[in-house]
Amino acid sequence: MDFLRPNTFAEALALKAEQPDAVPIAGGTDVMVELNFDHRRPPALLDLTRIAELREWSAVDGKLRVGSGVPYARIIEQLGGQLPGLAMASRTVGSPQIRNRGTVGGNLGAASPAGDTHPVLLAGDAVIEAASARGTRMIPAAEFYLGVKRNALEPDELIAAVHLNAAPGPEQFAKVGTRNAMVIAVCSFAIALHPAEKRVGAAVGSAAPTPRHATAAEEFLAGELDWDAPKPLLDSVKRRFGELVAEAASPIDDVRGSAAYRKHALAVLARRTLGWAWQDHLGKETRECA
Amino acid sequence: MIEVVPSEGGVVPAAVEVGLVVNGEARRLVVEPRVTLLDALRERLGLTGAKKGCDHGECGACTVLVDDRRIYSCTTLAVMQEGRRVTTVEGLGTPESPHPVQAAFVEHDGMQCGMCTPGQVVSAVALIAEGHAGSEDEIREWMSGNLCRCAAYPGIVAAVRAAAGGAS
Amino acid sequence: MTSVGTPVPRVDGLLKATGTARYTADIPFEDLTHAVLLQATIARGRIASIDASAAEAAPGVLLVLTHLNAPRLPRMRAFAKGGSAQQTVPALQDDRVRFAGETVAFVVAESQEQARYAAMLISVEYDEEPPAVGLHGDAYPPAKVNGQPPDYRRGDAERALADAAVTVERTYRTPVHHHNPIEPPVTIASWDDDGGLTVHEAAQGGVHMMRLGFAEALGIPRRKAGSIRVVSKFLGGGFGGKGFMWPRNILPAVAARLLGRPVKLELTRAQMYTSGGYRSETVQRLRLGADRDGRLGSIVHESTSTGSDMGEFPEPCAQITQMLYACPNVTGTHRLVRQNVGVPTFTRAPGEGPGSFALESALDELAGELSLDPLELRLRNYAETDPEHDRPWSSKGLRECYSEGAERFGWSARNPEPGSMRDGRWLVGYGMATAAYSSHTWPTFARVRIRADGTAVVRCATTDIGTGTYTVMAQVAADALGVRPGDVTFEAGDTRYPFAFPPVSSSGARSIGPAVRAAALAVRTRVARLAVKDRESPLFGADAATVRAIGGGRLARADDPERYDTFVDVLERAGLGHVEERKGYGVMPFLHSTASGIAPWPVGPLLRVATRPFAGRYSTYDFGAQFVEVRVDPDLGVVRVSRVVGVYDIGRVLNPRTARNQAVGGITWGIGMALMERTTTHPRLGKYTSPNLSGYLLPTNADVPDIDVHFLDRPDPLVNPLGVKGVGELPVVGVAAAIANAVHHATGKRVRSLPIGPAELLG
Repeated sequence: MDFLRPNTFAEALALKAEQPDAVPIAGGTDVMVELNFDHRRPPALLDLTRIAELREWSAVDGKLRVGSGVPYARIIEQLGGQLPGLAMASRTVGSPQIRNRGTVGGNLGAASPAGDTHPVLLAGDAVIEAASARGTRMIPAAEFYLGVKRNALEPDELIAAVHLNAAPGPEQFAKVGTRNAMVIAVCSFAIALHPAEKRVGAAVGSAAPTPRHATAAEEFLAGELDWDAPKPLLDSVKRRFGELVAEAASPIDDVRGSAAYRKHALAVLARRTLGWAWQDHLGKETRECA
Repeated sequence: MIEVVPSEGGVVPAAVEVGLVVNGEARRLVVEPRVTLLDALRERLGLTGAKKGCDHGECGACTVLVDDRRIYSCTTLAVMQEGRRVTTVEGLGTPESPHPVQAAFVEHDGMQCGMCTPGQVVSAVALIAEGHAGSEDEIREWMSGNLCRCAAYPGIVAAVRAAAGGAS
Repeated sequence: MTSVGTPVPRVDGLLKATGTARYTADIPFEDLTHAVLLQATIARGRIASIDASAAEAAPGVLLVLTHLNAPRLPRMRAFAKGGSAQQTVPALQDDRVRFAGETVAFVVAESQEQARYAAMLISVEYDEEPPAVGLHGDAYPPAKVNGQPPDYRRGDAERALADAAVTVERTYRTPVHHHNPIEPPVTIASWDDDGGLTVHEAAQGGVHMMRLGFAEALGIPRRKAGSIRVVSKFLGGGFGGKGFMWPRNILPAVAARLLGRPVKLELTRAQMYTSGGYRSETVQRLRLGADRDGRLGSIVHESTSTGSDMGEFPEPCAQITQMLYACPNVTGTHRLVRQNVGVPTFTRAPGEGPGSFALESALDELAGELSLDPLELRLRNYAETDPEHDRPWSSKGLRECYSEGAERFGWSARNPEPGSMRDGRWLVGYGMATAAYSSHTWPTFARVRIRADGTAVVRCATTDIGTGTYTVMAQVAADALGVRPGDVTFEAGDTRYPFAFPPVSSSGARSIGPAVRAAALAVRTRVARLAVKDRESPLFGADAATVRAIGGGRLARADDPERYDTFVDVLERAGLGHVEERKGYGVMPFLHSTASGIAPWPVGPLLRVATRPFAGRYSTYDFGAQFVEVRVDPDLGVVRVSRVVGVYDIGRVLNPRTARNQAVGGITWGIGMALMERTTTHPRLGKYTSPNLSGYLLPTNADVPDIDVHFLDRPDPLVNPLGVKGVGELPVVGVAAAIANAVHHATGKRVRSLPIGPAELLG
């Protein structure tokens, strides 16, 4: 097993081009588990921790570029105002120790269906900046997840950053777990309201081979919400939204929960988070009018 | 400069030199790249305070501070911590001169078998520095990265509370 | 001033909190080699071929043992038959695979990384056979259950059931549980030039028991077993999982003998699941019959758990049903179903843990049928004497546990209607259950030495599994000697010290305590005898038997406390560096004669005798009452335990600080059992599907609510001179049932299969 230690991102891309089967490692919270248990012994490890530029984030005109090596803890501490959904999801990742090391880049690279940030990235229309020695391309989150632990990266590509708009409206994230902390999601759900565009983002996690948009639910809700004269939501709207979210899932029975429970719980999470998000929106509207 | 540590004979990775500042002391050691920080501390530096409970980032017994932030030392490689400051439970205090958090763990009986205790103590020191000792519920949540199978949790919460109160 | 009964802080607390305490894996060793297990990936079949040549050629590799080249090892004598093993079949003896995780190769290298890497290079081909999985096959009776027959009968339970006005018939299920101590098992074996073996072991199994196991496994005659030393100073949790001899304990010694170098084997967390036992899954059918007033006329408790060809440990679920309530007609049966999994073993609160879930859930269901308060139902069936053995209890404060617990909890505020209590969107439920546990007194010896400086050292070969033995035994000795606890050092975990049975079945305080006390009193009397014969002593001429300890290492005349001598002065005048005495307690008469530290191992008879103490005149149990409040999210089915009150009669409390800690731990085990703990097995492949701590969920700090622990603290005058019973396991018992009962109260939904997950609750 070779161990590759680039100091710059350009060097990392050159190494990845030479050795496409090298496994990138940053926080290590996923990769090391595999290594320590001899689940895989990659021909090479590509250590990204020396690359300062991956650990930076920047904001230009309300657009945020979050380096793939920014740990969850910094997202929570520094970006909670601008990316509340991502911060909320980050807050539920593992434990404080994991959040100090683990990164959104790692979550994307592993592409586990249970990864906590995926639904938020989908709902918030995140774009993944994939780089290689050949150049850079921007992959919308919706096109990024291909299957269980499979993503759209080419073998020579690395994740440089995630691009997100500073939340244009309320965002919520919720997940169900079997204990009060340190849980892998039984299922999770994220919602983002885009009032200016009169649009809704909604996505499910741990409920299908990949995290995915609940497209029908998004379209239904965008049509139902009265953006210009917001008023409290009808229960029937919340219920229908929940049903459509559940229909978007194609979960399996596993040790954490049954498929039927996951669908049920997603509907509940969808109703609840919609209620909270719309309440936020109402509050904002009221304040702006006053 | 790109540094490539090739493997020997295609299978066994060659050893590399790593510099760490461990408990305030500059240490240089030669390790295979696949050696975890935990194994480097325990096997190479003789610092056995951090424990190997799961080697999987699930139990917290291996918790150390790197540049003052708590992490699981079992899920990071020693070579990836080049140049960083590592604090283990041994670096906080000794039986003769314990850290206030260590003394509080004894006073509030925040332990039984003691296997998870070094990780709990290090985690508690970080938690207090992070400002997460505001209430018992907050402490419970922010101490949840450290499992205690004996379940001395109420004692741990009381110890963190007391130590945080004393520090402020 | 006595120390016993006061909350003395843990004497090893600072060692643990500073990382200074050395656990087995922490011990530095010269010339150490590292071993790794390779385990079978199928549950049943044969090894068609195994090729270790690449591993043997890998850098740093010193030895690869497979069934093709391993030394022949004997079948071990079973614990239930007076031996030290649960799994009697040794490793690497044939090509058979009996369960997934059975050891198929043992690799030793210069470093652990090298050994791990080499193990990956071993290629094994299997001829697979379909494994037996689950409790579906033919059930058969085990030979013994905890030393007792598998079937128990008093009266005619079937007939009484047919005649009962009200009946409840239900089946309850509990899953496989793993002990999951934070410290994985670890063994370091080294041979010296004279053929002596030293093993450092994380050994709840007791160092003396392990010594005999090593002698048996390695073909060392019993009379030479003294050449084997087993050391276990700090243990990172046991809970039953580090009890007994398993193949993994033996292989390092085998390899070390072949290599002439010390060998260390540290199991991975995943390997732990298949290398040291587990709690079997159980299916328990409960049938209760009662009259309209709730008086039980009949209980039938039929329990089925996992059997194995490699050893037998029936989970003794029905035994609690046999003794807990005043019911004239009771049948308890235990059956096994053979599976291709490892041998089960003791897990904290064996039998009573899962057994009480079934019994105490069924009682709650009966209370519902009768529209009777669940606590009142227990009181109407209160057993004033032991109905199983028809004799008095040595002590039983259960009635007070009920009333004190109900008061502290606020049980009277419970609206009996399920689903009637709410807090915002949360449904609130109250549940309760009875706890009882048959803690044991095992044979234990202690040696107490008073040194010239007046301090004392106590030696006993028990191990401290975290319960506080180092602290509590120093307190016991200090009181008997009349010194401060800080002047006493308790040393344990070494076969060089006097024999002690493994610290299992909540036996520590009640077995070690009286032995330490007896030895301390004996050595104090010896000092007194020296003094009364010494013309220079103020005690000269007094009756040594009446000399009293007045504290501070002083001995005074009974008739005049102003005339006293001190340990320091007596020893100095006598020119002695120390004096010491050794005493035993809970010892069978035939053990006395051979109590040299390598006593024979008459475990079978001991089991029978110890469960019937006092020559059959009294029955001793720990008792308690558990009260639980839960909050249930009615839409998601998520259950949170929000409050627990546990009130316990454990006799005299030696140290309220360490005892409370253990009780909180036991309750938390009950919370884990109720809501999250479960090892899942692939239904076709027979393999554990998630042998790790993200698949097997343990309660985190955030899962443990306010826990109010109260001890009656009433010495049991009959059980032993200290009046202490047991605390380690009792607080586990009944918690899972109390939670299930509270969930039912909150929601109206009865869950009879653990753990109670959201899906189970909504489904």
